[in-house]
Amino acid sequence: MKLRIKLILLFALSITSIIFVYNDYFLYSTPIVKITNIEEEKHDNIKEEYYNQIITGIIQNGKYKDNVIEIKNKTSKSGVYDEQIHKNTEIFVELSNNGTIANSIIGIKRDKYIVILLVIFIDLILTVSNKKGIKSLLSLLVNIIISIISIIIFKNNYKSINILILYLLVAVLFIILSLYITNGKSKKTLSAIISSIISLLISFSLSFLIIKLFGKDISFWTMEYIEVIYDYENFFYVSILLCGLGAIMDISITISSALNELIEKNPKIKVPILIKSGKEICKDIVGTMNHVMLYTCYSSIIPIVFLALRNGMIIANAISFYGNLELITILTACISIVLAIPISLYISIYILKGGRK
Amino acid sequence: MITILSMILFFLLLITGKSRGTKTFVTFFLSTFLIITYIILISLGMNAIILALIVCILASCISLFMLNGYNLKTLSSFISIMIVLVFITILTYTIGKLSNIQGFSSDSVETIGAFSYLINYDMTKVIIGMYLICVIGTIIDTSISVSSSMNEVLENNPKINEKELYKSGMNVGGDILSTTINTLFFAIISSFIGFFMWHRNSPIENIINHKVFTQTVIELLLSFIASILIIPITSYISSKILYKKDLIKDE
Repeated sequence: MKLRIKLILLFALSITSIIFVYNDYFLYSTPIVKITNIEEEKHDNIKEEYYNQIITGIIQNGKYKDNVIEIKNKTSKSGVYDEQIHKNTEIFVELSNNGTIANSIIGIKRDKYIVILLVIFIDLILTVSNKKGIKSLLSLLVNIIISIISIIIFKNNYKSINILILYLLVAVLFIILSLYITNGKSKKTLSAIISSIISLLISFSLSFLIIKLFGKDISFWTMEYIEVIYDYENFFYVSILLCGLGAIMDISITISSALNELIEKNPKIKVPILIKSGKEICKDIVGTMNHVMLYTCYSSIIPIVFLALRNGMIIANAISFYGNLELITILTACISIVLAIPISLYISIYILKGGRK
Repeated sequence: MITILSMILFFLLLITGKSRGTKTFVTFFLSTFLIITYIILISLGMNAIILALIVCILASCISLFMLNGYNLKTLSSFISIMIVLVFITILTYTIGKLSNIQGFSSDSVETIGAFSYLINYDMTKVIIGMYLICVIGTIIDTSISVSSSMNEVLENNPKINEKELYKSGMNVGGDILSTTINTLFFAIISSFIGFFMWHRNSPIENIINHKVFTQTVIELLLSFIASILIIPITSYISSKILYKKDLIKDE
């Protein structure tokens, strides 16, 4: 019965938040226009079709609410760089002349799609695993808050702070808080935290050293947002540091909880047996973990390499221009995953078994 | 640089995993090759969504059958992955079509400035394909973890009934969930600091509705949703398949 009330409450809350985000125009200071009508004029270029649109829409917020307005837009079939506007799309515009003329389209209102997916995610996690779901959500929330704070600290002091040192400290904070929140206070958590930190430091110093020694041929110019980053080399190290962080935590908590389980069932278990079963557990995770890293990170190069190939760039060039930095990040993350195994294994045995001798 | 790092990875895998390590390394590079082939084929004009689904099926075959061998565990994982893939494709397609997140934003004008934008290929399809390939890794990982631990439970207590087996799968799934969410969060967010530096003076309402922000957050949420969805489905399918096998063996 109680569960049913909870589910109804969750459902009601979800619906309310979706309705809210569909009507949250009052939160915005930029004028929003909801499109009611589109007139299109088709043009045939040599390469592809493009359209000149005359869009009519109603302003939804601000001083000129309910005014009808006309805007011109140009859109193409492929939509590499333009906005494809349809009926009912909501756009941000810049108004002039007492709200009767729209100068330009600033962007599209996309917040509702994020909220819809967020609602699906929260509903699913709470129905699939109730208590653990709340813990996971809490640790995710804490991680997001730490990320935001660290970005604010960095953006206010980017000339004086070394981004690498800042994020090394932040990474340690990430490890301690998220493992503590999801696993509670116990010896298991302590050993997972210590082994994560040590694995992170060792594997990161190794990657750092290798790239410093052999990485003279790395070209950073394809890195996104390079224009605003003064210290782009350290910035690249930060993305290496963060990319494998979650995976290292995953390995160390898996090992320490498995070993804890074994020791609790049989307190007299010998160290060599523990090492052997720890290695057995890891054999199963390492392969698929490497694949997670590969598919999750390497997929992000698809649009840019695709565009380059469509423009007639040679495959090998396109991949090494736009994919090399990503591949280096993935490989270092995989190396830290593999390194994390023996490190967590020995540290966990030392901490869990040490007290019982 | 790539060669040096690959060699180090290969060496480490060989020490820790012996023959299994070599297999991991080979499948890793096979998967890299798969993604590159995918980009080449869609640039020749093939349908990006259908091809992405084929890549996902091949990727599951590589990770499940090549890496973990062909058995009932991997078979039930494979079936579950296919079911989740159907759900995720529908969700990704709807969101991708509606939310206007195709292509590039003005942030990357320096990078793409040299190219012609008239490429005669709908970029919406490319981004939907990218999302599908992005989530497949985590679906496979979660699914195989759940089904192999269920197999372990069944082997240790053969008298367990089907419902309890399902419950143990859900239980393990809940344990994996928080670490999976962490792994995905850091893997996807690690390249995001630059975006915030670029927009450090923009108001928050512009950031939330920005194309790059929406692209990344949708990617993150889709992979979270996929990795949750796979847990009950794998638990259910594995409990059916593994339990049946056990009955057959008894008779």
